[in-house]
Amino acid sequence: MTVATSRHLTHPEPAGVDNRLVVGGTALTWRSLPTPTLPDPAAVLAHGAVHALTAARQHAVHGTELLLSTASRVDAAMRTELLEAGFTVSVLDDDGAHPSVPAQPRAAEPGRLWLLTSGSTGRPKRVGHTLDTLTTVRADQPDRTWLCPYAPGTYAWWQVVTLSLTQPGQHLVVVEPDELDDWPTVAAAHGVDAASGTPTFWRRTLYRDADALARVPLRQLTLGGEPVDQAILDQLREVFPTARISWIYASSEVGASIVVHDGRAGFPLAWLDRETPGRPTLSVRDDELVVTSPYHGAGLAGPVRTGDRVQVLDGRVLITGRLDSDEINVGGSKVSAGVVRGVLAGHPAVAWARVTGRRAPVLGHMVVAEVVLAPADASEPASAVTDEAALVRWCADRLPEHAVPRRIRVLTDIPVKETLKSDV
Amino acid sequence: MNELSRTQIRDLMAQVLKNQDKELPADDAAQLREIGFRSLDFSELALRVEDETGEELNFDAPGLRRIATVGDVLDFLVELQHQ
Repeated sequence: MTVATSRHLTHPEPAGVDNRLVVGGTALTWRSLPTPTLPDPAAVLAHGAVHALTAARQHAVHGTELLLSTASRVDAAMRTELLEAGFTVSVLDDDGAHPSVPAQPRAAEPGRLWLLTSGSTGRPKRVGHTLDTLTTVRADQPDRTWLCPYAPGTYAWWQVVTLSLTQPGQHLVVVEPDELDDWPTVAAAHGVDAASGTPTFWRRTLYRDADALARVPLRQLTLGGEPVDQAILDQLREVFPTARISWIYASSEVGASIVVHDGRAGFPLAWLDRETPGRPTLSVRDDELVVTSPYHGAGLAGPVRTGDRVQVLDGRVLITGRLDSDEINVGGSKVSAGVVRGVLAGHPAVAWARVTGRRAPVLGHMVVAEVVLAPADASEPASAVTDEAALVRWCADRLPEHAVPRRIRVLTDIPVKETLKSDV
Repeated sequence: MNELSRTQIRDLMAQVLKNQDKELPADDAAQLREIGFRSLDFSELALRVEDETGEELNFDAPGLRRIATVGDVLDFLVELQHQ
């Protein structure tokens, strides 16, 4: 396979083309990436982080129709589906593109970018975007070196990537999946001062080596992709007392819709039903977050039901989890798994928690939980050992009786998927 | 199949109550209402039996019945394991 250099640029190089990129410890720039010719339309399965960045830059310059993912996220059925939809499915590695062509090729849609939603249930869906609808940070930003821990082609990955592509001074340090557990070392070595990750990502980092995290000179910490609770915000604040800590609500369907910088979980009640031109409008219908966003995916104009459940508590609108899994019916009383999770995560000895409903006699379901305990603090007396009974009592002091998890299993490590989520 | 004896279930029941600083009387005829063993506690006990045996109980199988005493709880859970 030869790697051809395109002679016909359809767009100027993006504004961030000279930003620094560190991939696998090697310093590059967007401009120094190889410039393979990509099929059009193409579903590119990037072999590594550098190949994903290469495809993104090629799209920015040439505007070819692109769906970007990794081989591990596209199974045989999805591959067939993409070929049937007229995509050339192409593995991109150091030797260039290795295409499988569709039986019935079709004309490309210029400028179109496709995302595969991670979809915790059912088949992943294709959501149409453009580089423009994926670019949600437009105001000038202070110069930053961002960590990109996300899987290539996901909405969160595109958020960090478009920021660096479109804004001078926004550099990227990309970690490959096998470097993920050791990212603070990589980040400290390359001067990362801004990082974005899921709460699970941050919890794992704190759990594995909080001291290593503290050595990363972070000035901006961003959380998103999963419900964000007060405990994780507080724990990060303790490590980074002066950094800006933000959480963001974003999805491939409605784009980045909520950004909160005040260090608190949830957003102010006053933000509901507020209409500002060019900004998303947030509302609640039947406990469900509804977003009308200018950054929506193709065909998703107007109010979009997000499938995320909200609960108003103390003047804040908390996003507690997915509608189909957050509500647990215990003998007719409704319990929010997210609220219970927040209480458990607030226990000083708990590093991570998952709360679910479990089938039970008489009541239909019961609240149960899994937790990972924080590494033992040598200064704590042995009597302070946290066990199931202690956690049940902690919850019983803070929750209605039917919401108290009665069975709490202790896991030894925080589970995480390629999306950096853990289905809490 | 991994099955718990009536005595083992009784021990688990005592544990459920002990976690709430309550005591399980030795008398099987003791009224659940008097010892403060309620439906949440009953459900917890059933889950503990499942966790001990590694088998799911079939809660739908037996018909409705009156569960008023400690003995009723133990009989019911012993029986459920056979469903």
